[in-house]
Amino acid sequence: MTGTDEEITIQTEMEVEALEEGQTVVPGRLLSEAVRKMPAGMVTLGATGTEVEIQGNGPRFSLRPLNVEEFPLQPETTDEGVEIDGEMFTEAINQVTVAASMDSARPILTGVLFDSSDQGLRMVATDSYRLAKRELPGVQIDGSGLVPARGLRELPRSIGSSTMKVQMREREAVFSSDRGRMRLRLIDGNFPKYESVLPDSYPNQVVVDKEELLEALGRVTLVAEDHIPVRFKVTEGGVEVSVSRQDVGGETEHLGGQFNGAEEEVTIAFNPRYLQDGVSVLTGDKVRIRLIDGFKASIIDNGDDSEFLYLLMPVRV
Amino acid sequence: MANQSPLPAVLGSDTLVHVFDEPTILHADLDAFYASVEQMLDPRLRGRPILVGGGIVVAASYEARRFGVRAPMPVRDALALCPDAIVVDGHFDQYLELSSRVMEILESVTPVVEQISVDEAFLDVAGSVHLLGRPSEMARVLRRRVREEVGLPLSIGIASTKFLAKIASARAKPDGLLVVPPGREFEFLHPLPVEAMWGVGRVTSRKLRRLGIETVADLAALGPDVLVPVLGPHAAHHLTSLARNRDPRPVHGGRRAGSVGSQTALGRGLTSVEEMRVVVLGIADRVGRRLRAKGRMGSKLTLRARFPGPRSVSRSCSLPGPTASTATLYEIGMSLLTRALEASDGEPVTLIGMSVSGLRTDQVLQLALDVDDAVGPGNTKDQKRRLLDSSVDAIRERFGRDLLKLGRSARGDDSFRRLSEKS
Repeated sequence: MTGTDEEITIQTEMEVEALEEGQTVVPGRLLSEAVRKMPAGMVTLGATGTEVEIQGNGPRFSLRPLNVEEFPLQPETTDEGVEIDGEMFTEAINQVTVAASMDSARPILTGVLFDSSDQGLRMVATDSYRLAKRELPGVQIDGSGLVPARGLRELPRSIGSSTMKVQMREREAVFSSDRGRMRLRLIDGNFPKYESVLPDSYPNQVVVDKEELLEALGRVTLVAEDHIPVRFKVTEGGVEVSVSRQDVGGETEHLGGQFNGAEEEVTIAFNPRYLQDGVSVLTGDKVRIRLIDGFKASIIDNGDDSEFLYLLMPVRV
Repeated sequence: MANQSPLPAVLGSDTLVHVFDEPTILHADLDAFYASVEQMLDPRLRGRPILVGGGIVVAASYEARRFGVRAPMPVRDALALCPDAIVVDGHFDQYLELSSRVMEILESVTPVVEQISVDEAFLDVAGSVHLLGRPSEMARVLRRRVREEVGLPLSIGIASTKFLAKIASARAKPDGLLVVPPGREFEFLHPLPVEAMWGVGRVTSRKLRRLGIETVADLAALGPDVLVPVLGPHAAHHLTSLARNRDPRPVHGGRRAGSVGSQTALGRGLTSVEEMRVVVLGIADRVGRRLRAKGRMGSKLTLRARFPGPRSVSRSCSLPGPTASTATLYEIGMSLLTRALEASDGEPVTLIGMSVSGLRTDQVLQLALDVDDAVGPGNTKDQKRRLLDSSVDAIRERFGRDLLKLGRSARGDDSFRRLSEKS
């Protein structure tokens, strides 16, 4: 079974009892919804040139098929590629895709850079407001490319498995597992030179508890929908988190934490959703926030893991 | 007491009013608006009787009114009264544009501006007197600015109620200013004929005169009970209240406009993209300046191009982030214009309009990384543009709008103004 929108192609195989060989093309969403709504048990699938029939335990759908010749030609694929731990790969995908842009007007930013070197694989995504970078040391794939984040977000759900294979080709990235295969057409263009936007040093840092921070952000976002920023005042004892909105009200709370800084205090504001996105994909139970000042990028990580970082630009207030 | 003037419902306003002993409700009304615009656009029409409209006169200049011409009336009848009158078609696109420039000037003294039609608005300046001084002084500034910056005569009435301010502006015309001092409202109001009242048209006037009511004083003295059988209970009570200067209606200002836009009519039309560039830049400049003056930025831009026929094509686009930058609006406006032109067969463009929606405050800006050389919302280039815009705004604020012009519009200004002056 192959489904495609030409950028993303997913193929799976399943064992069936085949009475007769053949091909047909069925509208995807309708087919999956139809099967989902049928009673549990076996279904039979039959196709003529003018009708696709699905029936089982009573209901019988008869769908109009699409023209097989018009379906995009599928290249021969072999499940070659470099093996990668599926759980780790899923974690990396979840970590970087949060930072990729959804804006089709900026196509390059809708991709995740797969950057391979002798050290391993590095995955990077940015929508220009934040940037996520994940290292997978020791994962040696052939070649680099810009892979659509939209497809990667679907990957764990559709073909995720304990062992996966990655293959970078000239025009596409192919991922496979025992559940199937996903082919993603690479995005043309050059990914931003992200190394230069990562600051060299941070004079200030604060470490807080991850769950406490997420809970605080949950309360903050009750008030701060839309584009209302959350303010962090970072001092000796931790962080004062506050939000205020002219027409609604506000919320303030204090998060205990360890502060090491060149400054007495640093005040910075963030889009709470962007912050939530980054904090929620951190591993571990601590959050380290490194800061320069209220106008420059800050870096969020778990404090002892050099493999993942989330850079976040502040909101100027 | 009946003559106690209701004060605007703004905390502390009564003390301020007493400081100056002037009321704070202004009614600003452009004189013979359409006709004045025509006279401004074409100097040959100045000082002459003008009728705007095709079959029906929709507006007449003061020179024509002297002959008894009133709108609406058939052009034929008007010409019978005033045979020398010049009939013009009217530049309706210009009217809206000029109206919004006037409203913008009115908003410079108070956010409490309630526009009630294309050429008139109420203002409540109670909250501005501690900053800007006497309401009559504000009115003088507004009249001068509208005259100098837009080229149109504006009359203003100042009084303690909306009703009285409106009557005052009508009495101030043409091109005048009239203040009704607190405590002297009836001295001003009562001798007036009932027809001066807002809401007394020909039919009501005839009914009132049949009862022997000729002046506002007569109406006030009579009371509603006698009028109810003639006018119905609602109108009877309403008119009596107004005659006794009871008008508690506040000025509904501070409307948060959902969009900010501007347009330019191009006479017979342009076919050269280079010439249209100049027009788009001029519009982007105006829209950007208006957004910034309101402290807003927007994330959706719509461009409308009109072709002969008339036929209009609109193209819009959602921006990756909000903007109020003249240069950004210009660039996106040009790409939308290119798309709009694809829908035509090289026909001339007779009007270009642009509007920005999805507005929000500009006090908050999500900063962005410099991921490429383009101008992206919140990145370094975008911030430089913001800085440039605010410098230009500051210079214009101080030295006048004409001192600084954008490169292309400085060169092309005259040509397209000439075009828009042709009918």
